Amino acid sequence: MSNNGVLLSARNIRKSYYIGTPNELEILHGIDLDIRKGEFVSIVGQSGSGKSTLMNILGILDRQTAGEYVLNGVNISTAPAKQLAKLRNKHIGFVFQTYNLIARTDSISNVEMPMLYAGISPKERRERAEELLEMVGMKERMHHTPDELSGGQKQRVAIARAMANNPDIILADEPTGALDSGTGRMVMDIFHELHEKQGKTIVLITHSNELAAETPRIITISDGNIINEKINEVEGLMNNPERKIVC
Amino acid sequence: MLVENCKLAIKSIKANKKRAFLTMLGIIIGVAAVIAIMTVGNSMTKGVQKQLESYGVQNIEVYISTIDYSQELSEEEQENLKFKPEDIHSLSEHFGKKIAAISMDSSLGNGTVLVNNKKAKVDVTGVSAGYFKANNLKLKSGSYFNEYAYRQGTNVALVSEKYAKQIAGDNYKNEDVIGKTYEVNLNDEYINLTVVGIYEEQKSQGMGGSAAGVQTTTMYIPLFTAWNFNHNKDMYSPTVVAAEGVDTIALSNDIKAYLNQKMANQLGDKLQIDAYSNQSMIQENNKMMNQLTMAISLIAAIALIVGGIGVMNIMTVSITERTREIGTRKALGAEDSMIMLQFISEAVILCLIGGLIGMVIGVVIGDVASKLMGYAPTISLASIYISVGFSTAIGMFFGYSPAKHAAKMNPIDALRYE
Repeated sequence: MSNNGVLLSARNIRKSYYIGTPNELEILHGIDLDIRKGEFVSIVGQSGSGKSTLMNILGILDRQTAGEYVLNGVNISTAPAKQLAKLRNKHIGFVFQTYNLIARTDSISNVEMPMLYAGISPKERRERAEELLEMVGMKERMHHTPDELSGGQKQRVAIARAMANNPDIILADEPTGALDSGTGRMVMDIFHELHEKQGKTIVLITHSNELAAETPRIITISDGNIINEKINEVEGLMNNPERKIVC
Repeated sequence: MLVENCKLAIKSIKANKKRAFLTMLGIIIGVAAVIAIMTVGNSMTKGVQKQLESYGVQNIEVYISTIDYSQELSEEEQENLKFKPEDIHSLSEHFGKKIAAISMDSSLGNGTVLVNNKKAKVDVTGVSAGYFKANNLKLKSGSYFNEYAYRQGTNVALVSEKYAKQIAGDNYKNEDVIGKTYEVNLNDEYINLTVVGIYEEQKSQGMGGSAAGVQTTTMYIPLFTAWNFNHNKDMYSPTVVAAEGVDTIALSNDIKAYLNQKMANQLGDKLQIDAYSNQSMIQENNKMMNQLTMAISLIAAIALIVGGIGVMNIMTVSITERTREIGTRKALGAEDSMIMLQFISEAVILCLIGGLIGMVIGVVIGDVASKLMGYAPTISLASIYISVGFSTAIGMFFGYSPAKHAAKMNPIDALRYE
């Protein structure tokens, strides 16, 4: 990557909603943020702090009102819609709190979908999707539709889908928010694994300080401002003997 | 991509079979109605055309009519409605090779033949040589009248097959009838006629049978023979048979103009010559039938449009229902055009399936209805192209706006949609 491995760079990002002039509700008050390749960053904040809005902007699901956002060397403000779709497809993997798997569509087809939009051949898609489902331990459920899966299973399929086009960055918005602590743990372990073994850049949005404490870099956001940022000494999570190996 | 989209669309239709069927119903009814109506219309047009053609495609009917239909004619004036033989003969001189034959006929009325207690009823009609050509009358056995018979008015006759059976029994032999001379009783006036041939009966003949069981068939004699018998050479409407390749519509106009001038004295200012070609009748019939079919089809097409609106309705509902799915697809990297293609494919496939089902139903209904009406069913290929093409177009047209709406959505708004 250029710029010393900086993957994404946000400068003075503002986001406001018009709720009838002259009232204007500003959610983000000028966020500056750089994330380098290979980082595992958590963004913590209370509900309503603007962390999800920030993630949507970082994931190009939404556009900032002001400020500059550069992802992978592309200035988002000036890029055409087609290029933004390509960026979402090839460079970003989303993991949502509500999974957002396509209904009535089996796991493997869900995992194949980003590859379908990338124009990868059916054979190659199937092979890679099987590989990814195996990685998250869902291969034997590849022909199950979302309504036949538990929350944890759905989230694992969603992670496999996020990894489909081997993106530069995984954006996870409260990925354990709808799961019990056990399955939540399993999902977190998969993220650690992807980070440590495959060197994936991961941005984790959470309201839980506990989960944030697991990541090497913690950014705290409150009322639309970054109020704290710290580098966390994470002691060899992968070496913890109590940690269950899932993948 | 297109194949993937079609698979997606079929999957989505399968997931909502009942709703898909109800949506298709409008298209099915519309397409079936259009095809059925066009098939029946086509069959009727072809049927009537065939019947008209059997009277002779090259035939031109010539007659004298009043210019003003509301005007009453005196008895004297009514005499002027008849042609004189020389006027008719002048046609073949004037138009030469353009005219293949001129058919004239003069009926002597109904008569009976009694042989060995066997009875046949006949309608004795004197005909010119052109008559058989104009009326497409074929010989079964024996021969037509010769030149001499026509010129001299000899007592010869052509009889129907039915006549032969009535006189000589069902298993008659040709020589039982041909060459034999029969005495025909025409209102107690008698004429002896020698049969020279047996003609093939046409379907329309033999229909005028009497309730008593003995059917009346036509017995043809040379025109001169008839004229000699009743001393009456009146002619109301001769038929001109145009030569092969001659434009009968143009010729009928020429005949009209020629006779109007030639017979100006007879016609006076109340009468005129009318010449009507069979071809123009066929054309007029086809034109009328086509217009009628188009008009009814147009009404059926309204059903198609209503069906199309149904498709749009369902697509709008389907897209609203799947807003979050659209958001997810966009988050996964689907371009606007791909989302649009997906939903348009769904609408088109829905309409196409409906169109094909409608086509099958329409063909069956059209076929059965034509047969019930007594016409040979002619399936209108155009109607199939039109309705299948039309239902695809409806899918595209009515799928476009909801699809575009779906594609244009902001990903986050779609994802957050509740």
